[in-house]
Amino acid sequence: MKKYMGNKLAVFLFVLPALAIFIIFDFIPILQVFAYSFTDWNGLTIPNFTGLKNYIELFSDRVFYTSNRNQIIFAVVITIYQMLFATIFAITISDKKMKGRKFLRVAYFIPVILSVTVVCQLWSAILSGEGLLNKLFEAGGLDFSQNWLGDRYKAIYVIAFVNAWQWMGYQFALIVAGIKSIPSDYYEAARIDGCSNVKAHLKITIPLLAETYKFCLIISLTGGIKAFTEMNILTGGGPNKSTFTLTYMMYNAAFKKSDYGYGLAAASIMVIECMLVMLVINFIFREKNQLKEEEKSRRKRNA
Amino acid sequence: MHNEGKKTALHYIFVAFCWIYAAFSLYPLIWMLFYSFKTNQEIFVTNPFGFPWPLHYENYITAWTKYDVPLYFLNSLLVSVGTVVITIICALLFSYATSRMVWKLKTFTRLFLGLGMFIPVQAIMIPVVKVVQRFGLMGTRWSLIFPYIAINLAFACMVYYGFFKGIPMELEEAACMDGANIYQTFFLIIEPLVRPATVTLVIYIFLNAWNEFILANVVVGSIPSLKTLPLGVLFFQGEFTTDWGGMGATMVIASFPAIIVYSIFSEQVESAMTIGGAVKG
Repeated sequence: MKKYMGNKLAVFLFVLPALAIFIIFDFIPILQVFAYSFTDWNGLTIPNFTGLKNYIELFSDRVFYTSNRNQIIFAVVITIYQMLFATIFAITISDKKMKGRKFLRVAYFIPVILSVTVVCQLWSAILSGEGLLNKLFEAGGLDFSQNWLGDRYKAIYVIAFVNAWQWMGYQFALIVAGIKSIPSDYYEAARIDGCSNVKAHLKITIPLLAETYKFCLIISLTGGIKAFTEMNILTGGGPNKSTFTLTYMMYNAAFKKSDYGYGLAAASIMVIECMLVMLVINFIFREKNQLKEEEKSRRKRNA
Repeated sequence: MHNEGKKTALHYIFVAFCWIYAAFSLYPLIWMLFYSFKTNQEIFVTNPFGFPWPLHYENYITAWTKYDVPLYFLNSLLVSVGTVVITIICALLFSYATSRMVWKLKTFTRLFLGLGMFIPVQAIMIPVVKVVQRFGLMGTRWSLIFPYIAINLAFACMVYYGFFKGIPMELEEAACMDGANIYQTFFLIIEPLVRPATVTLVIYIFLNAWNEFILANVVVGSIPSLKTLPLGVLFFQGEFTTDWGGMGATMVIASFPAIIVYSIFSEQVESAMTIGGAVKG
């Protein structure tokens, strides 16, 4: 049997296609990102090693700080918006007696399955000077009309909103799936003890969803760091580079100025930021799990 | 139950809020559907919000005949189907070898491919263009299919790995006794057992590939004959901004397959999209 399952030729044939495609089109590129970030590569000639020059230049670039600030704003806006709404909706809809649950689930989830370009194009039609939103304000006699993406301070919030609007349904579906896995006797016990519905959810549902929330946090915070598509379509990084992010810096440096080395330095920082965020979130949530387990064992000992 | 009254008051506020947000979530899409049937005059002046009447379905004819929409549609379809088929085959074989067969380095190989989960597409777009050029794939649809396979593999392999782990070893033992070789065992006995995972992954990868923008933008963004629908939609930013109805029609056509897939398999789509929660978390 061991020989049968250890057929060397079969292993080789089974593993090779996936491994080759992964290495060539995913793994080598990410290595190149880091490697070429230390060079003056312009995309055509042979790159020369320039040490930390790109990074020093990057850290003294004002746009680098704007980019990081934008990423933080983007991440915070989408995290709060999505997790707050998703939690409220998921808990409300978890009530099996509620009418129209199926419809609401579809309504929240549909933007998730659309292409990001369709969503951006749609919102740029809504938000533009002659767009739907300004028309609505005019119809309501309100004086809020403006070009929503043209203000250098507000634009990033508007862009973050578009992303949050599209992906709220995703976190909603995650939390719904999480709630489904909580046994209903917990709530029955709480009700017998005279606990109100809201309190039961605060004390049972939300703590038990820790794993789900960890994942939601990872998605939306790294989503903020990686933000690019919305900027690219809605504002093109403008007005006046006020909606740049690190990915957009890379895109701009590489495809507009052919300064690939510099762009890849920005990309490297972006990847490192993503890794750091993931490590920190995992660390925070692990601490809690460990604490809980320690407490449990302490209680057992006392009993 | 003394707190019943308090519960319902708050409950109704939440329920009302749910419905208001649902309208907020759907109205932009309905508005898009509506304006795909309107003329510019109606969109901007006479009827910006409401139901389109009479229906200007000629917007769809314009989109289909004048704006290369059939070409984009074909490109999207070929790229998505190619990506799905090859990713599924590669992931099935790889996960089988790393979960059930016996060889050195199998855990290392599996974890190595799992690294793919942590490589952001945004970061690798420049090197991917160069790799695609080096392999002479530029100007063919393979220039999109191979990178798409690469970015979906890690996830697909992890899902399959979980499924393969749950199958009892006795199946292969029985197949071996009966004289099937390893290839027959895999394709005739094991593969049908993980069909549920395959269905989920097919939907997930298809939607991913159908909607992908970041790599498509840099790889085929400048090649009109290879553009996919997400890029075709953006085309209207430049030359055709005056034809809003045509743009709406194009966007509706671009969203149509995804919405069809979702309305048929809504449960599977939701679980497919959220399965990452179980795997990544």
